[in-house]
Amino acid sequence: MEIISHIQDQIVYYQSWLKNNQNILKMPLRHGSIQTIQNIYKYPWLLKLANVNRLLTMVTKGRQGNYRKANAAVVEKIVPNLMHLLDNLVMDTDRLVLHEDMVPPEILVAMGLKTWMAELLGILMPIVDSHSVEKYIDIAENSGIPPDVCSLPKSTMGIILNNEAPPVKAILTSNSPCDGGMASYQLIKNKLDIPMFQLDVPYNFYNDRATDYFANELKRMIDWLEYHTPGKMDWDHLHAICEERNKMAAHELELWEAIRQRPAPLAAEAIYLSHLWCFNVTPGDPNGTELFKYLTELANENVQNNIAAVPNEKYRTVLWNPPLLHFIDLFSWAEQQYGLSLIIDSMSYNRQPFIDISTKDAMLKGLAHIIMTGPMARHTRGPAQNYFDDMFYLYTYFDLDMILVAGHIGCKNTAALNGILREKCRKKGIPLLIIDYDLSDPRVVSHDGIIGQMDRFMENIMNK
Amino acid sequence: MLSQTHNAFNFYPQKMLETAIDNDNIPLGYACNNVPRMLLSVGKLFPYRLNAIGLTGGTELADIYLSQVTCSYTRSLLEYAMDDQLEFVQGWIFAAGCDHLRRLYDNFQYILTPDFCYILDVPHKGGHDAISWFSQELKALSVALSDHFQTDINDSNISLAITDHNAMMQSLQNIANFRKNNTPAFSGTEFHRLMHASWTLPIQLMKPVIDKIEKELPERTCPVNDKVRLLVVSSVIDQYEWIEAIENNGALVVADRFCSGAIPQLEICPQTDNPFYDMAAHLLHTNACPRMMDTFAGRLELIIQTVKEYHVDGVIIAPIKFCDIWGVETTQVISFLKEKKIPVLKLERDYSFSGEGQLSTRVQAFIEQIVL
Repeated sequence: MEIISHIQDQIVYYQSWLKNNQNILKMPLRHGSIQTIQNIYKYPWLLKLANVNRLLTMVTKGRQGNYRKANAAVVEKIVPNLMHLLDNLVMDTDRLVLHEDMVPPEILVAMGLKTWMAELLGILMPIVDSHSVEKYIDIAENSGIPPDVCSLPKSTMGIILNNEAPPVKAILTSNSPCDGGMASYQLIKNKLDIPMFQLDVPYNFYNDRATDYFANELKRMIDWLEYHTPGKMDWDHLHAICEERNKMAAHELELWEAIRQRPAPLAAEAIYLSHLWCFNVTPGDPNGTELFKYLTELANENVQNNIAAVPNEKYRTVLWNPPLLHFIDLFSWAEQQYGLSLIIDSMSYNRQPFIDISTKDAMLKGLAHIIMTGPMARHTRGPAQNYFDDMFYLYTYFDLDMILVAGHIGCKNTAALNGILREKCRKKGIPLLIIDYDLSDPRVVSHDGIIGQMDRFMENIMNK
Repeated sequence: MLSQTHNAFNFYPQKMLETAIDNDNIPLGYACNNVPRMLLSVGKLFPYRLNAIGLTGGTELADIYLSQVTCSYTRSLLEYAMDDQLEFVQGWIFAAGCDHLRRLYDNFQYILTPDFCYILDVPHKGGHDAISWFSQELKALSVALSDHFQTDINDSNISLAITDHNAMMQSLQNIANFRKNNTPAFSGTEFHRLMHASWTLPIQLMKPVIDKIEKELPERTCPVNDKVRLLVVSSVIDQYEWIEAIENNGALVVADRFCSGAIPQLEICPQTDNPFYDMAAHLLHTNACPRMMDTFAGRLELIIQTVKEYHVDGVIIAPIKFCDIWGVETTQVISFLKEKKIPVLKLERDYSFSGEGQLSTRVQAFIEQIVL
């Protein structure tokens, strides 16, 4: 029986591997050999992204059954989407808009514009290859950017300073999620010398006044885009996108209900990587809805059959802050080593899943609220209460045993809450580990250094 | 270094502060120029720009909460307050000016639980909607202040406060204009001490001091024999010793484009029948902080204009370490000034005054570079 399961798991991996490689190879076929060579010369990071299938190996390693299928499905969603995004390097480039990761692309897509998320490379490349953005971080620092600035904007700035940015025609950004990110866009604008629109998210955004203010910001953004790009607002298209996004969110809520079970039927990348990609990069894509429907089915099936994603699940945790980009397989290691399930993370959890699509204004207000309360933005921009309320809510709602904070050295405004967090966790009796590391740069703290911190915590605090 | 006789710049801010408090004036601490001083100047209230110039040790306690990777201004303020050195402050008004100030407010509330602790939501833009938003914020603050301090704050007495504020700014500007002369009548250090006092004392106490200085200036000579004239660009500089250390090397600081300095804080606030809108527009439009998303070109222009008006030979840009907005801005300002062939020196610093030897060495080399 075990051999059959093993063979089935291998089949899942190789089927997915094949499918992904086919999708990767289709891109040069679409572009032609000369264009592909030119692209590789102009955008050297393409070669790194060509290794995106390594992600499949990372997320399926040690995972079995439905858990393996779920993680493989997530990568199968990412790969073709990524390849189509890369088409934007050469097709309809007059419509190509650089947007910040905190400004999701629904409106841009509805306007018939092509999108390039500025931080996409800085997020995806270290996931695929731990050391791949070090070069760009160094370029940014050598140009005078202080080393203590977050390595995500540093790598993004480095790519642009090294003239490796796609041929974008306009920039769309905001004051989220932090000052470093916000400040980086002035440099990006100066370097690219193209028009830029910056959305201003208020400090207190859980009220109607803020929603109205920010919805007006979105209206100004649409006017600005219509003036500076060939894009024209298509409200029916936006309606369709928001409707599809709502369907996807409904499936995600069902998935979250399933993972509340102890032991969890799915965990880690099936939960957070799916959200990270589908809600931030391709919202409104029917394939995203299909993915979340499939993930939910797999999770429910595991629940019915009493199968745990992590065999012998002993501990359940939330990961606060963005996932450890250059050490994405930390949790497959922790599952094997300690029976630790990563149930959910702060980037996936949101309090506003649905958009009211009844009128144009309602849609804009829904999108406004989603952007203001988006991943990271609502924890790093607003008052500390936003940060702690969500964290302790998740701890209870998902029946967790500990809180893990990815203590990225460049994230100063969350570092400035660590003292309060320690005291609050101590009072509540919640085991807390703040992992000291850098989001994208493994030279700051190596994988061994991170594992060492986990080991000490599990041995000394969790008495493992 | 400064002459102690017949020197109008020699006054005693600490004694004046004690006098103000003894006379039942209420000091309200604020930590960012986005907080309108005029609104804190109604009735017995007066604005006190928060500083930790008396902090002698490190920031060990504050580091536990704010971590060692946040701006040392915020850590110093928290440390100073935790050490009860700011006990006389009766209300705390912060602004969501930057990540570090926001977190200072969060920690302040959590650790010190003051009776009155408020944070203003400040837009990052200066358009009509943003000004309206901010003016509503200011109204909400005025209501909170009225309720807590039992002070009547209405349009009429705010307008009076703006008039008084403008009068003091005009007098300070008259003094600052002397710095544009070939031989300014005072040093950058003296001016810095004057500015520091102006931001921390009630207008009614400071105005006579300022008037006296203004009157004596035509008869005065500068105590610094300068080789070069410098503009200092930075965020918060509270310690006059930092300016003094530069001037001890033969430079004269003739212009100060930093939060606790004169440029552009001495601009006059417009006055219409809507004082809240006036204050909001004034703060958002004269704001030279790199936190503002739509004024980058204006900030560069302000530096160039200052260089011209004050006959500046070189610019020192001095960001506080760990400040992201200034860190990224500095890189671009340096490139811009180099393109314009304006000598520029970057001095990354801590809020507290330290490393005088290193500072002197860097400044000496910079002066030589300019003179040669």
